[in-house]
Amino acid sequence: MTLAALVDQDVAAAPAENAGSMLRLLTCGSVDDGKSTLIGRLLWESGAVPDDQRASVLAASKGRSNLNGEEIDFSLLLDGLQAEREQGITIDIAWRFFESESRRYVIIDAPGHEQYTRNMATGASHADVAILLIDARHGAKRQTRRHAAICDLMGIRNVVLAVNKMDLIDFDEATFRRIEAEFHGMVKSFSFEQIQAIPVAALTGDNVSGQSARMAWYDGPSLLDYLEEAEPAMEAVDAPFRFPVQTVLRQGDFRGYAGTVASGAIRAGDRIVDARSGLSANVKRIATMDGDRDEAAKGDAVAIELDAELDISRGAVLSQAGNAPVNGDVVEARIVWVSETPFDPEAGYLFLTNTDQVPVSSISISALIDFETLQAAPAHACTVNDIADCRILLGRSAAFDTFKELPATGNFVLVSAIDGATVAGGVITYAQSGAAAPENTFILSRDLLARGLCSDLGDSPEDRAEFERRAQEAANLLRSVGIPVIIEIE
Amino acid sequence: MTVLTSHLKLLEAESIHIFREAAAQFRTPVLLYSIGKDSTVLLHLARKAFWPAKLPFPVLHIDTKWKFREMIEFRDRTAKEFGLDLVVHTNEDGRQRNMNPFDYPPSVYTDVMKTQALRQALDAGGYDAAFGGARRDEEASRAKERVFSFRAPGHRWEPRLQRPEMWNILNGRLGKGETVRVFPLSNWTEGDVWRYIAMENLDVVPLYFAKERPVVERDGQLIMADDDRLKLEPGETLQQRKVRFRTLGCYPLTAAIESDADDLDSVIEETLSAKFSERAGRLIDHDTAGAMEKKKREGYF
Repeated sequence: MTLAALVDQDVAAAPAENAGSMLRLLTCGSVDDGKSTLIGRLLWESGAVPDDQRASVLAASKGRSNLNGEEIDFSLLLDGLQAEREQGITIDIAWRFFESESRRYVIIDAPGHEQYTRNMATGASHADVAILLIDARHGAKRQTRRHAAICDLMGIRNVVLAVNKMDLIDFDEATFRRIEAEFHGMVKSFSFEQIQAIPVAALTGDNVSGQSARMAWYDGPSLLDYLEEAEPAMEAVDAPFRFPVQTVLRQGDFRGYAGTVASGAIRAGDRIVDARSGLSANVKRIATMDGDRDEAAKGDAVAIELDAELDISRGAVLSQAGNAPVNGDVVEARIVWVSETPFDPEAGYLFLTNTDQVPVSSISISALIDFETLQAAPAHACTVNDIADCRILLGRSAAFDTFKELPATGNFVLVSAIDGATVAGGVITYAQSGAAAPENTFILSRDLLARGLCSDLGDSPEDRAEFERRAQEAANLLRSVGIPVIIEIE
Repeated sequence: MTVLTSHLKLLEAESIHIFREAAAQFRTPVLLYSIGKDSTVLLHLARKAFWPAKLPFPVLHIDTKWKFREMIEFRDRTAKEFGLDLVVHTNEDGRQRNMNPFDYPPSVYTDVMKTQALRQALDAGGYDAAFGGARRDEEASRAKERVFSFRAPGHRWEPRLQRPEMWNILNGRLGKGETVRVFPLSNWTEGDVWRYIAMENLDVVPLYFAKERPVVERDGQLIMADDDRLKLEPGETLQQRKVRFRTLGCYPLTAAIESDADDLDSVIEETLSAKFSERAGRLIDHDTAGAMEKKKREGYF
């Protein structure tokens, strides 16, 4: 059989079988903990580095002095910008690719410097698994905790805690166990589902692709062995159907809504609804250049033609009738601020979802994550690299899900209305329509709170912040048991 | 040998998503078409993104007048086959000054006939976004680039100030005088491009396949004599060798490799086992350390 024929055959596989075929890895952690070296080592050992690049790395390594006596500076494989090579630091994320027998790996190497946290957040949003590096000599630093918090915010559920530079602490098990235990305690409030701690030495290769003989006490997988088994982030196959409309395609009589299925699946003949307008119709055709399809599932880029002419445009989210997203104009969210310009309650912002763009009426910050304790503390301001909880009122309604349920339609970015710069990325924790409270919605009013839960609080700024924090907590508790809540304490 | 293909459908869908986002957000996009294998895939994905409608943007080729003849034939055939709105631009000023890759250093020639020409064409067309086939696996500075890569006025790339790009939300809002380069193939590798060409049965320029061709060995590289403008230096002889090209550009600056790979199967096999990176045959990338980043800062793709 020819290779081309083999290719044809493989591609006929069902979409579900493609799902595990690509694993996107983020490497993060504080500066100098050895991220670029670890990834360079992985690439080098997996045979992903062509000979001419090997030669140029070997040549460039000779001129550098910070190599701890090793011959090769693996970090040169990743630090691609002139400024990065000159300063010996990573400024922006680097994307690298390699293949094992079974799958494609995408490695996203994130900078450790606090100054470049915005780039790390970009990387984290694209990853299935995070490798969080910690220098065994120093344990978790402030920036390590910040990166852990951003990984959590961006939706990463599978974390490898790579305790690096074990060679510099004589491969001491007790130190490794202490760092591992501290980390577990630290991220208790996060949504990580899997945490695997691995003791490694990136420079010497211990536990990177094979078991280290110098750490016989460690009986877990090596880094590469763990990654080979790791599953990409996926929601349930029966997740609700979401189809954010990118653009409308017209040709002759054809009028199709072009987009990529964000979650779930749709079949020709199904009834769909547009959450924004409430309009509904049946799916007439699922069209692609390769022919019509009976079904489109998560990840498929298609054009959907309906059996009725609806007034739907870019920004609409098509769903199945009876399982639609919230059509809301009030959003509660956790955001990471990535602009050098601090948050300004008077400034104009736009709210960008997958394909929609909505003017923001107001944003109020209620809390910031403290990077020492990783707990939320009351606050009203927010500046670069902060993680904040906030409440956003929108100029009109749009279709939303919560990030926890459907990540692809529960995330957003905020951009400056003045210069278009991206200032924050966020995940929706709650969305509702503020215009008309549906029946049986619980209204958490200022009076109600002042009489009971917050009766000990006065009028100082600290107390007012605490008042808002308690209101938010109470709302979260009620919502967690399915009670719709509106907070009215403005 | 393992042939991994299951991820190609994911890459295809991601690229289609990028095309549609850019077309929806920018006023006057253009597709930069360089005739090579990456452009072939790029064009195919663009057609898929907007099918059954026609491409909602023109296709731009920067012609230095030093491209392989077979490339130009392929370009015109492709434009006709798909009914493309093809725009061809040459830096006429450079041409009148007889700017050529033999008498000028490669970096100067490239700057005038490619980088400046591209800037001229983008400005003349008033394009606010240009699709390119660049991939992150090609070169170290490209590995750092965003999908929507913003260019300051004058088409400068500021690698230290790239816009955060979270999830698949692509923010295409432009500041005054800013333009964007859009890279739908960002996450593809050279191997993916070939495997996709095989999967989709796409036609590519025959120069990618090994054949007996007239070449001269110069500074350790094999340069093909595509026309009589190639003058032999003393001691050089024209030889017939079985060669092919891994990338296509201006013929005096694009080295051939000796190969027996004369069909898609053998090209894929050779690519996946290649010991040298793709751009090793691109003479202009090796002038100085960080050569590609420098060119990009100046407005090169």
